[in-house]
Amino acid sequence: MSKANKGLSRRGFLKGASALSAAGWVAAGSTWVLKPEWAHAQGPIKMGIATDITGAIAPGGNSNWQVAQFTVKKINDSGGILGRPVELVLEDTASDPGTAVGNVRRLVQQAEVDVILGGITSAMREAIKNPIVRRGKTLYLYPQLYEGQECTPFLWCTGPTPAQQCSELLPYLIKQGNKRFAMPSANYIWPQLLNEWARRVIEENGGEIVFEEYYPLDQLEYSATVSKIMNEGVDHVFNTVIPPGLQAFTKQLYEAGFQDKGGTSSCVYFDENAVNYVPQRELEGVYSCLDWFHTVKDPFSEQLLKEYAEMFPDTKYLFSAGTGSTGMYRGIKLYEQSVIATNGDLARDAVAGALDSASIPEGPGGPAKVVPGSGHVAMNMYIGRAKGGQWDIISEAKMVDPDECGKT
Amino acid sequence: MDAAIKLVFDILAFASIMVLVVSGLAVIASLMGIFNLGHGEFVLLGAYTVYVFRGEGLPEWSGMLAAPILVGIFGLLIEASAIRRLYKSPITAMLATYAIGLIIREVVRGLIGGQYYSIDEPIPGAFLVGDLSFSIWRTVIIGTTVVVMAGCFLLLTRTTIGLQVRGALENPSLARASGVSTTKLYSMTFAFGAALAGLAGALMVPLFSLSADLGVRFLVQAFLSVMLGGVGTFEGPILGAAMIGSMVPGFQWLREIPGVAVAVSPVFAEVLVFVVALTIVKFRPNGLISKGRI
Repeated sequence: MSKANKGLSRRGFLKGASALSAAGWVAAGSTWVLKPEWAHAQGPIKMGIATDITGAIAPGGNSNWQVAQFTVKKINDSGGILGRPVELVLEDTASDPGTAVGNVRRLVQQAEVDVILGGITSAMREAIKNPIVRRGKTLYLYPQLYEGQECTPFLWCTGPTPAQQCSELLPYLIKQGNKRFAMPSANYIWPQLLNEWARRVIEENGGEIVFEEYYPLDQLEYSATVSKIMNEGVDHVFNTVIPPGLQAFTKQLYEAGFQDKGGTSSCVYFDENAVNYVPQRELEGVYSCLDWFHTVKDPFSEQLLKEYAEMFPDTKYLFSAGTGSTGMYRGIKLYEQSVIATNGDLARDAVAGALDSASIPEGPGGPAKVVPGSGHVAMNMYIGRAKGGQWDIISEAKMVDPDECGKT
Repeated sequence: MDAAIKLVFDILAFASIMVLVVSGLAVIASLMGIFNLGHGEFVLLGAYTVYVFRGEGLPEWSGMLAAPILVGIFGLLIEASAIRRLYKSPITAMLATYAIGLIIREVVRGLIGGQYYSIDEPIPGAFLVGDLSFSIWRTVIIGTTVVVMAGCFLLLTRTTIGLQVRGALENPSLARASGVSTTKLYSMTFAFGAALAGLAGALMVPLFSLSADLGVRFLVQAFLSVMLGGVGTFEGPILGAAMIGSMVPGFQWLREIPGVAVAVSPVFAEVLVFVVALTIVKFRPNGLISKGRI
C-alpha cells in the first residue's frame, strides 16, 4: 500500500474519495469542466464523460476518468484535433442508472457536448444510451468489456466482446487437457450471455460443461458449489462470479485444494487490479483473456504506462483492461481520427460515417480498427496467466474480430 | 459420509460467523432495547482496523487483537456523545445509529477509494484429515466463537456485573434505587456490543475481503436472526443466528438432491432462508426464546 493512503488527512481523504484532484477544475453545478490551456477561434471540441465517480463502481469509473484526462491531455499537448483543443466535461453517473439519466441529459442539453464516452455496467449503458443517442442525438462510445449484442446506431463499443474473450482462451485451455468445465456465475446479464458464447466454444472444441449456475451477486457461502467442483472431476472453472461474492468463492475453492489437485481456473475480467482483491496465492495460475496486460511487450503501450504513472503518481486507479480504461483510450483516439477524417466537421452523421471505418495504428495492447457496420472494434487479444502477482503472457492473437451485429 | 462431514463443517463455520456478528447486536438490542442499525459499520471498522495495521507494516493478528479494543472505545464515544441522549425515544435512537453507520461507511469508502482489498489470514491454508481438507482459519473462527460465547454467557450469569445488567434490564428504576448506575452500565454494554462487532469484522475479513459494504451484507440477516431468536434475552438472538447461519449454506446443498435441483437455484435458496425464518416468526411472534434466564 502506498504512503498516500495512510491516515486521515483532508487532502488524502479527498484524493482517496475520487479522482477529482487534478488541477484546473471548474465546477458548474454538478458538472465538472476541464478547460484546455489554450483557445481556438471556433472554441474547443466538447467531450462528455459520463462515468461512476462515486458508489460501488467508483474504482472503475475513476480509472476511466483518469485515462480520459490522460488521453485528452496528450491530444491537447500535441496541438489538439486539427488545431482545436478538446474540453472535457464530466458528469458523475454515481453507480446508479436512475441518477445517471438526469445527469447525462445535462451533458447533452446544457453542456452541448459533441460526443459522450462512459458507462461501465451494462445496466448503466442501457439506462443512458437512449438519453444520449435517441433523444439527445449525440454519439456514444461505451468502453467496457461486455456481453455483446449491443447494436444501437450511433453507439460504438470499444471494449472486447465475448467472441474476442472466448475464441482464443477456451480452445487453448482445452488443448491443455482441460475437458470438464464448471461455470459458476453471478446472476446478471454479462455472465449469462458470456456463458452462452463460452458454452458454444467449449462444446465445439470437444469440452464438456459439468454445470452452469447463477448466484446472487453478494452470496457469501459457496460450500455446495465448491464441493460439486471437487467431487465431479471438474478440470477447469470458468469463473464469472464478481465482487463481493468473488472473494468468498475463490477462497473456498483454494482451501478445498482445487489448485493443488491440478485444477485450473479463469476469470476474463481479471487484470492488474486482481491482486488487490484476491490474495496472491489464490490468484496463482489463474488465466485471463484481455486486450492488454501491463506485461505485454509493446514499446508504445509501455510508454503509455510510463506517462500515465508520471501524470498520476501513486494512483490506485490503474490504466488496465478490466475496468474499461483501454476502451476509453481507444474510444477517444478513434473519435479523434474520425474528426480528422471529416476535416473538422463535428456533425453527428459525418463523424459517425468516419467512425464506421476508423482505426488507430497503436494503443494499449496494439492497434484497433472499427469493423464497418458492426459498431465494434477489432483488437489484439492476450491470454495471461497470473504468476507472482503479474500476468505472464501466454499467447497473443492479432486483431481478433468482435463478431457482433452480424458483421465480421 | 465424507460429504456429510464437510457439510457439517461448512455449516458450523458459517453459523459461527453469523453468531459472532449477531452477538454484538444482541447484547445492545436485548440489554438496552436499542436496535443498532450502525452495527454493520462497527463490524466494518473492525475489519478496517486490520487493514490499517497491515498498512503500517504490522502483522494481521495484531490488528485482530486491537480491533475489539479500538471499536469498543469508539462505541463508548458514540454512546456518550449521541446514543445516551436518545434512550427515551428508541425510534430516534435507531435512526441516529443508522446515520452514524452511514457516516462511518462512506468515510471508510473514501479512505479505501471504494476498492476491494484482500486481507490475509494470520494462518492461511487448509489442513487435511484423510482426504478432506478443512480451512484452518474457519476452524479458528469456530473455536473463537465458542470461547467468546461461553465467556459472554458466564459474564452475564455468574458475575456481579452480569447481575446488575440483568437487573437494569428487568427494572431500571429499581436498579438505580439499589445504587446501580444504569448510565455507566449502558455505556459499558454499548461499548461491549461494539467490541464484539469489531472482533467479528476483524476475524471474518480474511474470508470475504474488505469493502465499504462488508457490514451491510450481514445486517439484514443479523436482524432476521434477532427477530427469529427473540429480543430480551442473550441466548435468543444467538440461537437465531446459529439457525440463519446454518440455513444459508445448508439450503445451498438442497440442489444436490436429485429431483429437487431444478427447483432450488442458488437465488431461490437465498430467498428460502427468509421464507422459513419468517414462517417461524409468524407462529412464534416473540421469537424462539421470549423469556429466558438472562
